[in-house]
Amino acid sequence: MAALTRERDVREAYSAHSGELYGFAVRSLGDAGLAEEAVQETFLRAWKAGQRFDPEIGSLRTWLFAILRNVVIDLGRARASRPRVAEGGVEPSVEPLEQALLAWQVEEAMRRIGEDHRRVLLETHFRARPYSEVAAELGVPEGTIKSRVYYGLKALRVAMEEMGYED
Amino acid sequence: MKTDDHRDWRLSLGAYALGDLPADERAALAAHLEGCAECRGELRSLEGVAALLPLADPARIEEPAARPPADLGARIEAQIAAESAKEGRQRRRRRFRFGLGGAVATAAVAAVLALIVLPIGGGEISPAQKVRFASVPNGVSIKATLEPHAFGTEIHMYVSGISSGTLCRVFLRDANGKTFSAGSFRYRWGDDSEAELSSALDLSRAATIGVHAGGRTFTAPVDQATALVGGAGIDPT
Repeated sequence: MAALTRERDVREAYSAHSGELYGFAVRSLGDAGLAEEAVQETFLRAWKAGQRFDPEIGSLRTWLFAILRNVVIDLGRARASRPRVAEGGVEPSVEPLEQALLAWQVEEAMRRIGEDHRRVLLETHFRARPYSEVAAELGVPEGTIKSRVYYGLKALRVAMEEMGYED
Repeated sequence: MKTDDHRDWRLSLGAYALGDLPADERAALAAHLEGCAECRGELRSLEGVAALLPLADPARIEEPAARPPADLGARIEAQIAAESAKEGRQRRRRRFRFGLGGAVATAAVAAVLALIVLPIGGGEISPAQKVRFASVPNGVSIKATLEPHAFGTEIHMYVSGISSGTLCRVFLRDANGKTFSAGSFRYRWGDDSEAELSSALDLSRAATIGVHAGGRTFTAPVDQATALVGGAGIDPT
């Protein structure tokens, strides 16, 4: 796809990337209605700026996420400018949004890896349970837990890379 | 180093990267890493994602992924189609304006009706035509562009120099003198946007365009014979 100028291009881009874009929008805005608005605005802006998309520079996915990031910032500002919210006086800054994107990528990657690997990483790392306890609960040797942690991390890395993550 | 040891150490690299290994195993694996470039490389590739894990919220991981509503795609398509249609109209409007912009209204003092028909675009044959009403009072300018459509004729009217608030009723007339309404608009000072109107009469059958305004009727001939020829060749782009 050389540019995103035809309505058909937008349809293809939507079917390929809307799920991820929406997932991140919900994660960062915390509201399904606002997330819909954000995704809609993202594709509209992408279509309007379609000539500027250059696949030589980056993937369509990366480009769409960059647009969504700006839309989320705009929506966050609009929300912050409403008096009730503005009392907190906190302008949403760029940094937490980048962090939110990374956090969402890790969560999404965790959802994509195999159930066995996800379960073991959740129990041992996030819930800090001893390997022996998890091994007993799952009825497998402790060594299996250790190897699942290893292969789980490897799978997580691959899933992250599919979403554009680089070291 | 035995091959099996190496394999065992490698399988411990995940726990090592996450800081989950007991102190004694950790020390032993660190010693192995000193002498094993392969395991060091593997460890590096795991440490990056291991460092990101704390960002994630385990409760969110276990929730099903949020999916957009089924009709969101259709809504976006509809919005883009609407924007697309609007953009097309604006492009046409800009093009026409440029072509007409240089006309001086007060020059239209001749008692005869002058018809200006220009092709749209350099050398491009377009069935759209521009009409200037010549039999108007000094200082008054009435111009129109006419475009053929399946429904009839799309008409864009540009008026200036008449009293603000004047009601303008527009019509097309065919060769037999039958009149087809094209609707009405009110001219407002300071508003440079043209009125967009339409008439059921096909452009190919329209002989005259007319405007009733301020108790008077102004007309200009619509001439298909010259609508499609090269004409003055002004490039409006």
